[in-house]
Amino acid sequence: MTEQTPQPEKKQPRDAAYWARYAETLKVSGVAEGATNINVDGRRAVGPLQGFGKMWQKTYRVRLPGAEVSPAGVIRTWKTHYQEFWPEGNLFYAPLAGITPGEVALISGSLPGGVKLSTGVMVLYADEESFSLMTPQGHPFSGWITFSSFEDEDATVAQAQVLMRANDPLYEVGLRMGGHKMEDEMWQKTLSNLAAHFGVREPVETNVVCVDPKLQWREYKNVWHNAGIRSALYMMTAPLRWRRARSQR
Amino acid sequence: MPQAQVTMDVRKVNDNVSVIDIKGELTAFAEGVLMDSYSQASDGRVRAIVLNFEGLEYMNSSGIGLLVTLLIRVNREKQRLLTYGLSEHYRSIFQITRLDDAIGIHDSEDEAVEAANT
Repeated sequence: MTEQTPQPEKKQPRDAAYWARYAETLKVSGVAEGATNINVDGRRAVGPLQGFGKMWQKTYRVRLPGAEVSPAGVIRTWKTHYQEFWPEGNLFYAPLAGITPGEVALISGSLPGGVKLSTGVMVLYADEESFSLMTPQGHPFSGWITFSSFEDEDATVAQAQVLMRANDPLYEVGLRMGGHKMEDEMWQKTLSNLAAHFGVREPVETNVVCVDPKLQWREYKNVWHNAGIRSALYMMTAPLRWRRARSQR
Repeated sequence: MPQAQVTMDVRKVNDNVSVIDIKGELTAFAEGVLMDSYSQASDGRVRAIVLNFEGLEYMNSSGIGLLVTLLIRVNREKQRLLTYGLSEHYRSIFQITRLDDAIGIHDSEDEAVEAANT
């Protein structure tokens, strides 16, 4: 019998359990009914450094005075009811395991012309008082959005902060032609809905900062993965898929 | 708002390189401290900023966001951003968030300074 020298336990950092583990590409663990997984599986997650357009930091914040809820309570509610706070027309198919690090959620959004945008997000980080979602290649923007809550003077505050670039030249044009306004309205509405859940009606403060006005022309090829174009093509070819499936029966 | 649980000390290694020693937690509340340290570090003819993460105890996604905005400021000044002292865990986070595409990661200060000087 050999004696084993006990190895000193490697101390994990406090945040170790909160981060997604590295994977080369994204993998959707289960596709919910009604969701379309055409632009997420096999794609890489991309951050604000990989996009094409100007880099923006957009902060949306609502105070919850009078609501007896802690920052952890706000985030617990936000994680559980994420889809319910989104404005109509956008669907978030939460992962079966919930908003936990490394899980991938599918999204169905609305684009002009009646096209349904199929995309998704990966849960990059999640702790008791914040969580972040990171986008895949082809998503309208390249970056992440962090949802957090904290105490400020006499009230709990809920915040969504986006750090992003348009993923490709087409999305950059789209953002300039009304896309930014649509996005602002979406997060303002989301925060209003969250506040209403706690019985609060307060204005949503919006702060938009252009972090980097430069376009990253080397990233123009990102258009190959454009989820808007791929979603439109998928919709247009639906009759062909239907006919093929019928002939194979 | 909670206070930043972090301290940052700035050292000038030579005319071209400054090191920022980060000790504690890198979260959204560290923004003021990090940007002040950068302003102090980039005085004069400094061409490269090296972040020493040996004392990093905690980092959340807002902390990673701060590093992205710092990188943009550094690039705007035509400087380079390098790091050393990242544990395996934090190296993996740089990989997931793809910060390693743009920020040089090194094993030691000597290696980072040498890379900064080339």
